[in-house]
Amino acid sequence: MAQAGKGKLNYRCPSCFVRDIDIDMFYDAQKEEYYCIRCCYHGSEADVLEKNRLARFRYRDILRRIERFEV
Amino acid sequence: MTNPLILNVIHRPEMLPEYAETVTAQGGGAAQPSGALARESLEIFRLQQEIAHKNGIKTTIQMTYASLFSDEAVALAKQHHETYGDEIALTLLGLPCKQFREKYKTKDFCIWMFSKADKAAIVEDVFEKFFECFGFYPESTGSYYMDAWLINHIKAKYPGVKCAVATCFEEGPKAYHTCNNSWYTLLDGGPWAPWIPSKQNTHAPAANEEEDCGLVAIPHLSRDLIACFDGNGSNFGTHPQNVLRGMIYQDGQYPYLFNIIDQYRHLAVYNRGFCYNMMFVGPGWMNKLGRWEAPYELLVKSYEDGMAYYGALKKKGELADMTMGEFADHYRKTHHYSQPECALWRDILYGSEKQHFWYCDPYMRITIDMNQGGAVIDLRPYAAKLETEVGIGTKYVQDASYPFLIQANYRAGYFTHYAGEGTIKSCKISYGGEETDLCLCRTKAHFSDEGEVRVLTLDPVEIELAGLTASVQTEYRFREDSGAVEVRRRVLSTSVPGAKLKFCEYMTACYGTTEYPEDMKDVVLSVASQNAQKSIGYAYRCREESLDCAVSASALVPQIETRVSMECLGANRGFVREGYAFSPMFTLGMEAEIGEKETLTTWLRLEKAN
Repeated sequence: MAQAGKGKLNYRCPSCFVRDIDIDMFYDAQKEEYYCIRCCYHGSEADVLEKNRLARFRYRDILRRIERFEV
Repeated sequence: MTNPLILNVIHRPEMLPEYAETVTAQGGGAAQPSGALARESLEIFRLQQEIAHKNGIKTTIQMTYASLFSDEAVALAKQHHETYGDEIALTLLGLPCKQFREKYKTKDFCIWMFSKADKAAIVEDVFEKFFECFGFYPESTGSYYMDAWLINHIKAKYPGVKCAVATCFEEGPKAYHTCNNSWYTLLDGGPWAPWIPSKQNTHAPAANEEEDCGLVAIPHLSRDLIACFDGNGSNFGTHPQNVLRGMIYQDGQYPYLFNIIDQYRHLAVYNRGFCYNMMFVGPGWMNKLGRWEAPYELLVKSYEDGMAYYGALKKKGELADMTMGEFADHYRKTHHYSQPECALWRDILYGSEKQHFWYCDPYMRITIDMNQGGAVIDLRPYAAKLETEVGIGTKYVQDASYPFLIQANYRAGYFTHYAGEGTIKSCKISYGGEETDLCLCRTKAHFSDEGEVRVLTLDPVEIELAGLTASVQTEYRFREDSGAVEVRRRVLSTSVPGAKLKFCEYMTACYGTTEYPEDMKDVVLSVASQNAQKSIGYAYRCREESLDCAVSASALVPQIETRVSMECLGANRGFVREGYAFSPMFTLGMEAEIGEKETLTTWLRLEKAN
């Protein structure tokens, strides 16, 4: 198997992202998956995108335009 | 124009972007020849300039050392200065280039980390090269951090410099951690808004002309004052691609960016009409390869949208764009040394309505959390004006953070794992054998300006103890140029007529700049009344001393040249408490029994002690 590369975008590990660590994943072309060299996460591009969507759970106001700043 | 948002937009032409080396070095077929990289980088700079100008925004062009060797970059800067009124300035970021590496034979690129000799040599190199290109010296400069020695040196050599990007707000251990422990911007503890640094320590604002370093400093970006306290600052600021980095967008929409800008506009309410934004996006954030998960198109769109919003505000008369040099003049005309910066900041991201109040003056930076009943969760004793040197050859090669006495996230705060204590300043209330802590009473706050005193008034909270219900209100009073904060705890009502509740105003603290403990040896704790004093020399032995009718409880922390004290009129008892190895803290406390319509008043005071 040839060495891994970076893939078309530098996707970060979604598992590390939710613990506030930005770490780029590497791409295993043979298995067609991204993997993290720090934790055990690995997954297809579709899985990465899905987990990234889940990682936004804490941003309850992600789509809210706020106009009043006094509560 | 009423309370316009003052805006500094800064662009820097990089010839070898920070991102490029790692991206190209780590494979993936992305390697490009350096000539192509330089071309792409200059094109990004050109695009950023175009976007700003299209929206009627003038910029400060911070030339990097590398760009001074590019005739095209120099010509572009001159042309934009003449056409759009952009300021041509000089950044100490972007040092790496062939000429730099041949001379200094290092891969270091952060100016504050060099030895003093190298700092002096680099400053001379870049300033003289700038002069060679433009025929004048710059009025503005900057880096992610500018240490006091560096600023003083620049002012001595080039007195015309009057403005600098001098710190990244709360970019410290959290940023280091987020970057997989590989990004050494350990710069916690500085102001979030413009300030005049002291000659002794960049983070600590000057108290008077004698301390004035001669520059007006601006922070690198304007950041979310709640999200940054417990998260990576580089996700939450007026940097559109930082917002993308934080994944704070959905379906191509990122209202959060505009919420941050608008909340900064709102800060005019707390600062006599002054409100400020800074946007500074390095070219690497808009590179063709995309950044993080975001493709190039989204990176550019976010920049265009951000600048379009600023442009729209300007058209409505609600924004004034300035160059850094213009801003320095404006700031000096509109601010005096002891004038505090205040920010009652609300959560705009997590949907919690949580509030933090930030206060900064030449004596302290203090953060109060309304979600913990108005507890102090961060305290930096600027009164000490620590003359901490940083860089190679000093005790602190990388760590430029201003030390804390309280940092409730790094050192536990109210909640600990079943042993010991964490750093926090709050109040315990007891009655009938039961006790609670105001940290457990979530509330909201309101701000008022009484001239010499800024007031933070919290909504009353209700407590229930042994069948008694009481309503308690907290008020913080910040008197300009006093070095003290007055804290009033008032019992508004009780359900039991004549009942007296025991209040214990306390502060648990230590010192440090990171999550890890420091040696508390040499700390001296003292409690004093009108005619007596007792002291403890810290030895991790769990001791406590107290005095009836105490007037003060204090700690001398020689490691950070600080004396912190709690003073009280009318205390029944004051105490100081030593910690132990598993809880390397100290606690200062003042106790009193008060009933309905009565108030316990204490003062938190910070002084230099060396």
